[in-house]
Amino acid sequence: MKTILAIANRELRGYFANPVGWVVLCIFLVLSGFFFASLLSFYNLQATEIAMSPYGGPELNIDEYFVAPFFGNLAVVLLFMCPAITMRVFAEDRRSRSLELLLTSPISTAEIVLGKYLGAMGFIGVMLASTAHFPIILYWLADPDPGVLLSSYLSVGLMSGSFVAVGVLTSAFTENQVVALLASFGLLLLFWVISWADAASSSSTMGEVLSYISMLSHLDQLSKGLIHSRDLVYYATFIGLFLFGTHQRVEAYRWR
Amino acid sequence: MLQVENLTKRYGATTAVRDVSFTVARGEVVGFLGPNGAGKTTTMRILTGSLGASEGRALVDGLDVFEKPREVKRKIGYLPEVPPLYSSMVIRDYVAYAATLKGVADPMGAADRSLSKVGLHDVGHRIIDHLSKGYRQRVGLAQALVHDPEVLILDEPTSGLDPAQRVEIRELLKTLASEDRTIILSTHVLAEVEALAQRVIIINRGQVVAQRSLAELGSDTDAVSLTVASAPEDAAAILGAVEGVVGVEVMSRGRFQVRCEGDRRAALARAAVGWGLLELSTEGGLEMHYLRLTSGDGGAA
Repeated sequence: MKTILAIANRELRGYFANPVGWVVLCIFLVLSGFFFASLLSFYNLQATEIAMSPYGGPELNIDEYFVAPFFGNLAVVLLFMCPAITMRVFAEDRRSRSLELLLTSPISTAEIVLGKYLGAMGFIGVMLASTAHFPIILYWLADPDPGVLLSSYLSVGLMSGSFVAVGVLTSAFTENQVVALLASFGLLLLFWVISWADAASSSSTMGEVLSYISMLSHLDQLSKGLIHSRDLVYYATFIGLFLFGTHQRVEAYRWR
Repeated sequence: MLQVENLTKRYGATTAVRDVSFTVARGEVVGFLGPNGAGKTTTMRILTGSLGASEGRALVDGLDVFEKPREVKRKIGYLPEVPPLYSSMVIRDYVAYAATLKGVADPMGAADRSLSKVGLHDVGHRIIDHLSKGYRQRVGLAQALVHDPEVLILDEPTSGLDPAQRVEIRELLKTLASEDRTIILSTHVLAEVEALAQRVIIINRGQVVAQRSLAELGSDTDAVSLTVASAPEDAAAILGAVEGVVGVEVMSRGRFQVRCEGDRRAALARAAVGWGLLELSTEGGLEMHYLRLTSGDGGAA
């Protein structure tokens, strides 16, 4: 456990010693700020229109009309950012030969993979923590449901966990960071939209399977404030499978 | 301490290391010599557990590298040809990180001890990226030494260094060698082996072609190179008649290479009186052996 944390700590520090980390953090903050401001002004516009309307209208719910779309957008931003975070995880270590330090140390491959994964997740944690001012502003302006906010953060966190697991695997396959980035981005996009294929698929079983695999359908559930065990199982399985794949890949370095 | 038995490593169709066997006793310093691509690095990486062997086995202190990797790795310090450094890190933090990975109880203390051993204690706060190659090599050494390993495996520790840095690292290695540590040192700089090692293992094309102590090598045939201003027609025959001379080779007009038993320089100089002697020098026995064993098809010696 101590070594896992040591590796994770070094990885996390590595992000801040490298311009890529700062650039990713900066872009993430600008985009999330943009989505926050524009969604909020859109919500405000709708609310004003309804209030002005002589016929009245439905009561707008901030959780449904603002929080859910905001976190949906945040997840899309993370879909683009995560490959840039994870591309270096193994690729850089292999290119600079520093991986040899890990491979010749008395630690297991699982410790290496978990440490690196947790390091990247630490960076995701920093990114999500840097959006903490949004809920504060929201509480100041309105009265959102804290349960919905928490479950939204949880769902975005779990989703990023899956993105990072995919990215760590692709990074283990190449010494080239750009290749790792493109491969993980392609895979993530595929998992994102795979449920769209269920409309085209003839069998309903196939459609159901595809929609279960798709990340989009799980995000919808969680950001409504609903935590289903099937979603948690989905993310745990997804992350577990990709980390296992990474473990096998790193083991294979010894047998090339 | 180290026991390598019939080690073979294949990469697809090519065989990098073929049936390599050798042993290294505790406290011994062994030079691992061979041209580029001979299989030195592959053998070392198998010993350190970062590469699997296709056949054969390697034992460190009686423990199989593949069966007990954790225990073995704790006993080994390894400096690869390219030191495994994180360039964005501060020297001291990096060495302490290595110490944590190696399971040292007090990583910072171990890092400080290791850094003062390699003479980097005063610059521990510097960022690795800003260091010269000689300093990077020292940081790599500090990393290899941080857990006070019984075995030290160094892959070309002086390659790419300028002569001054080379001497520094060599002096450092001499100190380490005197600490009763088992050291395997791969290099293609013969002078390094002669300065540090007690025994040499010469490897060529993935096979061990010679294993000898340096003392043995030195007592073998010596080569003398002789350059004169004007040699008579029968110079080669005259030199060949000198007592103890085994063979004479004419390199060019006025330049000869003489192989002889023991030091025959004085006799050769007497024989060459009147030819205008320009140069008379011995070529180390090791170099002769090395060139002979690793040239051509590298037939077993």
